[in-house]
Amino acid sequence: MISMVKKNGKNLVDWFHDKWRTNLQFSTAVALVLMIVLQTLALGFDFDSPGDWFGTWIQNWINILRNNAGIGIVSLGMTFVILSGGIDLAAGSTVVAVGAFIMVLIDVGPQGILSNLGITGWPVYIIAILLGIMFGALLGAFNGLLITYGKLPPFIATLGTMKIYRSVTQHFMQGYNPEVPKPFLEIASLKIGGQLLMPIIYWLLLAALLYVISVKTTFGRQVTAVGSNEKATRLSGVNVNKIKRRVYMLMGVLVSVAAIVQVSRIGAMDYANAGSGYEMDAISSVIVGGTSMSGGKGTIIGTVLGALIIAVMNNLLNLLGVPPFLREAFKGVIVIGAVLLQKKESNA
Amino acid sequence: MNVELRNVSKSFGKIEAVKNVDFSQKGGEIHALLGENGAGKSTLMNILGGVLPPDQGEIYLDGKKVVFESPAESLDAGIAFIHQELNLINDLAVYENLFIGRELKRKNGLLDIEAMCQKTEEILNRMEIDLDPKTMVSDLDTSYKQIVEISRALLMNAAVIIMDEPTTSLTGTEIERVFEMMRVLRGQGVGIVFISHKLNEVIQICDRYTILRDGLMVAEGKISEVTTADLARLMVGHKVRTRALQRARDRGHAVLKVEGLMDDKDAFRDISFSVEAGEMLGFTGLLGDGRSELFQSIFGAGEDYSGQIYFEEKPIKIQNPTQALALGIGYLPRNRKENGIIKDMTTLENGTIVIWPQNAKFGFIDFDYQNRLFDTQVKNLNIKMGNKTDLITSLSGGNQQKIVLAKWLNIQPRLLILDNPTQGIDVGAKEEIYDIIHDLADQGVAIIVLFSEAQEVVRVCDRAIVMYHGELNGELVGESMDEHNIMLLATGASLNSMKENNRYD
Repeated sequence: MISMVKKNGKNLVDWFHDKWRTNLQFSTAVALVLMIVLQTLALGFDFDSPGDWFGTWIQNWINILRNNAGIGIVSLGMTFVILSGGIDLAAGSTVVAVGAFIMVLIDVGPQGILSNLGITGWPVYIIAILLGIMFGALLGAFNGLLITYGKLPPFIATLGTMKIYRSVTQHFMQGYNPEVPKPFLEIASLKIGGQLLMPIIYWLLLAALLYVISVKTTFGRQVTAVGSNEKATRLSGVNVNKIKRRVYMLMGVLVSVAAIVQVSRIGAMDYANAGSGYEMDAISSVIVGGTSMSGGKGTIIGTVLGALIIAVMNNLLNLLGVPPFLREAFKGVIVIGAVLLQKKESNA
Repeated sequence: MNVELRNVSKSFGKIEAVKNVDFSQKGGEIHALLGENGAGKSTLMNILGGVLPPDQGEIYLDGKKVVFESPAESLDAGIAFIHQELNLINDLAVYENLFIGRELKRKNGLLDIEAMCQKTEEILNRMEIDLDPKTMVSDLDTSYKQIVEISRALLMNAAVIIMDEPTTSLTGTEIERVFEMMRVLRGQGVGIVFISHKLNEVIQICDRYTILRDGLMVAEGKISEVTTADLARLMVGHKVRTRALQRARDRGHAVLKVEGLMDDKDAFRDISFSVEAGEMLGFTGLLGDGRSELFQSIFGAGEDYSGQIYFEEKPIKIQNPTQALALGIGYLPRNRKENGIIKDMTTLENGTIVIWPQNAKFGFIDFDYQNRLFDTQVKNLNIKMGNKTDLITSLSGGNQQKIVLAKWLNIQPRLLILDNPTQGIDVGAKEEIYDIIHDLADQGVAIIVLFSEAQEVVRVCDRAIVMYHGELNGELVGESMDEHNIMLLATGASLNSMKENNRYD
């Protein structure tokens, strides 16, 4: 009997070890579970009223997810970009540019474009959202054109557009404070059961959609192929430049959704700072999620887990009362630690 | 220095890569280590080179037992491993590559460039090589790069040099240069382990041989007592056919016709030829003959060109591989690792990438369809593999190449261009690939195959075109298509007898 238990125990350890070594998502998920356990402990368990405790726990989670939905959505697009062997440093600036563009469209003040055209009510929001997404796609496509036709390294192309998009937005928005109409705020602030769940729903729906695109569609698989071996992929008759342009356009679309969520949550935008650091946070999520910076290896599920790890860690540091300035340092440690761990695994 | 490996074994998981192998190498001897891919050659040499620890067995240097825990320890003991992928920094000069990490310095801490150059020259002189130490490595051809690698080994007093397939990417004259250097070193008492698939070279340069098969040492002896056929038989374990493979078959219309092709970078010029349905047309020449560049351009993956191409009798200009694919042109590139396989993807994905868009609905891949076609190819091409969702890199070289080939067969090509399809794959797989392409020609596919070895052209092709410095230097058919004539044309000579429009029958 004892030997049986031992044997089973050993098998479990073996299974765990094997999974840990061979399946990157598994190790990322284990890290996340560990984080959640720590966070739950930090939250403290109230033995007198477990119902209340559970309520607090859930509420805490809703806050975490909501606060990270924007970066979560951007990191989904960033996964595609990095999978294809590229990088997008302009994501944060694109958030600002698209956000400002939408606000100008929907402004109910004297300068509002759509209201001046005599369009009012729900059509305004639909038109603004559609045009906003198209604008984001356009900005992304411009990155893609610089990278494919201009043959610029993605780092340089998007470093340039990062500066351009934000600076031009700031210039045109000087002294102009659009007034966001109340109904538009409902996009992110509509309450379900008294909770602000919309941003979380957008994040999870987009994650599911992009997961399907990445594993089931020609485009999704070609993105991975391009990142793994661009030359061989081109020689297999895949139009590599087209794939790359689409990747950056997709990134632009996702960034636009993040911008819409941001505008409708806050109702205003600080053009100098909004979205800044988004690209780096998104890249961090993607890396912690096990995607290789050189492309060709990585998954959407990993990125969602990676974004959650960083989010839960922020919350944990908050609960533990770690001084705010030190928190970024922990983020850095997590990113470096995750990559070191992945490196060790791939060497094993 | 005499090196001896006694009773060495090494397993990876359940696979026994090397089983109780004895191997001995004497100073002043060129020793061929032979075997098919996966026979255990690399594992054995990695053990000697300190890269892998053996599970069992000992290493003796001049009778003294040693244990190598790292490549550095093996190198210190005088054993240098020159890998197939050369380990040089292209943007540094020859002497800098030699002294990297142990630069000679003056008293004031600055580099003593003169001393390093002088020492480099001494070593080059020792190999009877005339080369300026200040030449940039990027300006050297592959044979000189090999020589620089070996110079580095000699700088560290290597007494035994392991050369892993050093001649695969070399041209005829370059091979001669490397062989000359090997002979000089042999004369100075240096021992060389020569790993190669090219048996005629082995016969030419080596003194002794050791043959591994499935991890076991199956034969060893003197080269003077064997023929290439003996070696091939010992390697595969049964007799290898050497007969000509040409088949009689009906020809169709000209599938591809090329007139006056010339590229923008002057890699090739004045190219005119045509290939018919069911024909096996060979292209060969030495490095720098422009044949790879020519077919890259035709496939839409190379430099832009002027001139006219007719495909299926219609004038056409192929802008990119996507268009070529749509027309039904397949292209198996040279250098499988760099251009052929997508290393992070599965065997199935590598074998179907060109047909993902086929049958796709709203961009969703039809996996049933992909699986069905893939399974058919695996069966037809006799591809040996584990799970089809394993990474392509888990397959042997020959099977990887078959997957790359299978990828193109899925589109039922009208024209198939193969650039060096048997590069770096073992004897058995080579023969299978010859058979596969002949079967395709039987089905009426026009086949253009680029070979770097004349011998392969003679055995496989119906007709051969030999290129020299970017031009067609001659065409050979029938009796006249032999290694001698190919070599003459490849080196720029013209065949005077029976000359008629540069075509020799």
